[in-house]
Amino acid sequence: MAEETLVLFKNIRNPKYSKSLEGYKKAGGYQTLKKVFGMKPNEVVQTVKDSGVRGRGGAGFPTGLKWSFMPNGTGKPSYLIANADESEPGTCKDRELMLKDPHLFLEGMLIGCYAVGCHHGYIYIRGEFFPAIKSLNTAVEELYADGLLGPDPLGSGFHLDLTIHSGAGAYICGEESALLDSLEGKRGQPRVKPPFPAISGFNGCPTSVNNVETLACMPFILGDGGVEAFKSFGPENNSGTHLVSLSGHVNKPGVYELRMDVNMKDIIYGIGGGIRNGKKLKGVIPGGSSSSVMTADEVDVLYNFDELANIDTMLGSAAMMVFDEDTDVVQLLHRITRFYAHESCGQCTPCREGTHWSRNILRDFLNGNGSDEKLRRLDRVGGNMLGTTLCALGDAAALPIQSFVKKFPDDFRKYYANK
Amino acid sequence: MTSGNIMPINNELKMPVFHIDDQPVEFHPGEKILSAALRNGEKIPHYCYHPGMSIVATCRMCVVDIVDLGNGRPAPKLQTACSVDAAEGMKIETMNQKVEEGRKLVNEFLLINHPLDCPICDQSGECTLQDYSFEYGSGKSEMDYSKRVYGWRDIGTFVSLERNRCIQCSRCDRFTREITGTNEFGMFNRGHELTVDTYTDRPMTNKFQGNMADICPVGAITEKEFRFKRRVWKLKKIRSICTGCSTGCNITIEHDRNEVFRLKPHENQNVNKWWMCDEGRLTYRIMNERKTRINRPLGRVSQNLQHISWEDAYRAIAERISEMEPTGNEVIALTDTHASNEELFLLKKLLKDGFLSDNVFCPLPKWEQIESEFFINTLITTDKTPNRAGALALKIKGDAENAEVKKIIDGEPKVVIILGNPFETEHEIQQKIKPAQLVVHIGSYHNCWSEIADVVLPGQFYSEKKVTFTNKLQQVQSTDIAVQSLRRSRPEWQIIVELAHALGHKFNFSNVNQVFAAMAEETKAFSGLSFDQIGDQGMKLKQTFKDTGMKLVQAPA
Ligand SMILES: Cc1cc2nc3c(=O)[nH]c(=O)nc-3n(C[C@H](O)[C@H](O)[C@H](O)COP(=O)(O)O)c2cc1C
Ligand code: SF4
Ligand code: SF4
Ligand code: SF4
Ligand code: FES
Repeated sequence: MAEETLVLFKNIRNPKYSKSLEGYKKAGGYQTLKKVFGMKPNEVVQTVKDSGVRGRGGAGFPTGLKWSFMPNGTGKPSYLIANADESEPGTCKDRELMLKDPHLFLEGMLIGCYAVGCHHGYIYIRGEFFPAIKSLNTAVEELYADGLLGPDPLGSGFHLDLTIHSGAGAYICGEESALLDSLEGKRGQPRVKPPFPAISGFNGCPTSVNNVETLACMPFILGDGGVEAFKSFGPENNSGTHLVSLSGHVNKPGVYELRMDVNMKDIIYGIGGGIRNGKKLKGVIPGGSSSSVMTADEVDVLYNFDELANIDTMLGSAAMMVFDEDTDVVQLLHRITRFYAHESCGQCTPCREGTHWSRNILRDFLNGNGSDEKLRRLDRVGGNMLGTTLCALGDAAALPIQSFVKKFPDDFRKYYANK
Repeated sequence: MTSGNIMPINNELKMPVFHIDDQPVEFHPGEKILSAALRNGEKIPHYCYHPGMSIVATCRMCVVDIVDLGNGRPAPKLQTACSVDAAEGMKIETMNQKVEEGRKLVNEFLLINHPLDCPICDQSGECTLQDYSFEYGSGKSEMDYSKRVYGWRDIGTFVSLERNRCIQCSRCDRFTREITGTNEFGMFNRGHELTVDTYTDRPMTNKFQGNMADICPVGAITEKEFRFKRRVWKLKKIRSICTGCSTGCNITIEHDRNEVFRLKPHENQNVNKWWMCDEGRLTYRIMNERKTRINRPLGRVSQNLQHISWEDAYRAIAERISEMEPTGNEVIALTDTHASNEELFLLKKLLKDGFLSDNVFCPLPKWEQIESEFFINTLITTDKTPNRAGALALKIKGDAENAEVKKIIDGEPKVVIILGNPFETEHEIQQKIKPAQLVVHIGSYHNCWSEIADVVLPGQFYSEKKVTFTNKLQQVQSTDIAVQSLRRSRPEWQIIVELAHALGHKFNFSNVNQVFAAMAEETKAFSGLSFDQIGDQGMKLKQTFKDTGMKLVQAPA
């Protein structure tokens, strides 16, 4: 039976662990940073590349590669920004790290700053995360008091400041370029790409935006764990452990640290303790609300980037939402679509109009006004947002709609069959 | 010879090329597909892209199918032409089924919440949404919910906003951010409720609001001045220039049944780019002014001005002058700098050839030019005349204090010719001219001079004639005939020519091109230019000079 593999959660799972700087140091913390200061930045980047770690924020882009895009000698400052906006429905793993082991993430952040030559890092944190903001603030204060932040951390001469910036409650500000606009004090809206942030990001300077969990992997990759150990946790191209936010109708919901070669079935029935009240599984939203839904028949796959991509869905932020046979998927889809209609920034046509229109059609079903025609229309309107928008929110809204309609058509028909 | 300022002559040996629907298109390295396409006359529908502002790629209308990225591989999905760099060897399709469907879905989305109130919308007829819906839309709607509705907001002193018609292209938002730098207007709310409004909760007061109506692709922002006055398809458009100040913004004069309804900016990258100011737009009103127009020649008969024929007017002037036999010093001409280059040239020539006099004067007050990081602010000058630079180039006499002209009128001139409305606030000058034995006023409007003139000759406003002006950049630009002038009026250049004939001098000019040619021949300033070359982009004087009356001032913060 599957069980947790503790790398990121090594401290958190230790009941005696204290998350203070002292406690983290006692557990071996900031030793990796010391080691990293003895390396050249490009060696750090190369090591991260070698580890094969892919971004945990949703897109799964190789982090080492992203850092290697940061140009040198532009005459402009470089920035590393931690994306702590965690707003993808179902996802609650970054919060766990920031609340319970902030220094692990911060050590990773410091390593990242050193790797990309950033002397002023920012943590863009979701505004509603009050306890996590407090936890991070305390941890950053500790670092300044200790000298790990400031003019000369560990005698490296690498001047480094960190600022924590809290957002104002918009899902779209988790999208990296909207995040940058928001951080600059503007309306948070995704930017046209290219230019990518590595060329023109925060204030027009080279910038790397990285997810909290991604950064939290760094102490292991560059420290005693090492590249090979990290890679050994999953199949080729899916290295490392990852934090899985398991929610829905399972007996034991929670955030679990798992290898990348665990079968989804094992997650649901092993780690998750099976379906609540002995019910049958109906389906799973595998990677946050933006991913295409899977039916019960499809869950016999390894839970990682490539395996899920192979079956036309995605790992996303590794937020598994499990639902049982009693679930009304039309209501579920309506709730998801309502979320996207509310969170669309509205600047691009298909997403602005399509999210709201789809939501209206879904409401018709709920109100007993569905029809074959409307089901077809829902699929069409949803599909018209796929690949036609500026940022991935359009796709995120389209994929659930298209997959629910395709995989659970009878559930929609039930709403109007007796009329 | 090529005219220097239409397109810069390309010094590169060869520009890189990509293909749109198998047609080769040249592009500047770094240029976007859409920009290069439009520059080369290709048609790709678009809403949010504007060449003068940043690229946001949000309307999604400009999608194209890149079947070859230049490396033999296609783009995985449709791409927005406004935001993708053109590349050597790239092959683009803009008319295949995929692209057609891509446009159709965008247009469908834009229409689901659109009021479609074309019959009462001023934009109707020049609306991009209307045009594209017709050309690329499907003609039917599957939206059966009530539409998004917003209340009316007073957003500007010059423009009106109908938010329900807005397609959220953000051009207006970018305009106050990037073009005027005033930042008082922007996008509010998000998602389906995204809309535009002022941040201040008050109407905008910036001096360039009319441009927002121009760039708004739909009837959301319209000019208050023009609203509900005329359907745009009735308007005929004539390219001309604004004479509201010495900038000489390029415009179209838009008229119907001999009435001018509005002025719109006409793109000229060397002068006004795409813009003009609101004050300039309002000068259309003067073009329709009839009450104060001089509508036929007038002669003073025992104190009163009476209608006379052109022949009688010229004959009377000639007779009086031959009776007086004035010397050169006894003849002066006063003109304002609203007069065209040709008119100033002919006036000077008339005095020189007719009376051996150099006494042509105009007011040349000091003026201020705004300096600003925002180009549009630099359009406005305090010189509210269109041809100061022309007067300087032609060496019409004058100074900031009008000292010279005051000195000469102390010599009690016998014959005074007035062109337009010079020195209108200088009572002293007017009082001294009054007793002159012959005062001839040539002009379009009654003013202090027509009151004291012995003969009044009706001229034409610049919207009624073809002449040239020299703007503050010393760029020579031409007007054109937009509306018919009054039946008995004549263009001033023609009046001066006829007057010369009446006085026995052969001025062989039957059109303005010939006058211009003589001016180019006889004056240094205009040498090397010809009327035909001026074209619709204007031509800079070959030898520019420094106007010492100009003072640079900072734009007010
Ligand atoms: C609509 C939208 C919302 C997103 N929200 C988040 C988020 O809350 N947290 C996050 O880390 N990444 C989010 N992302 C992904 C980021 O754009 C970006 O890819 C990520 O922060 C990069 O970090 P990584 O490479 O470490 O994954 C979002 C993307 C989109 C399109
Ligand atoms: S896809 Fe949606 S959220 Fe993304 S830029 Fe467009 S409107 Fe905004
Ligand atoms: S008001 Fe006009 S210019 Fe402004 S966003 Fe709407 S459609 Fe675009
Ligand atoms: S800036 Fe001057 S020339 Fe331009 S529109 Fe205004 S008044 Fe006319
Ligand atoms: S013109 Fe390209 S997306 Fe609007």
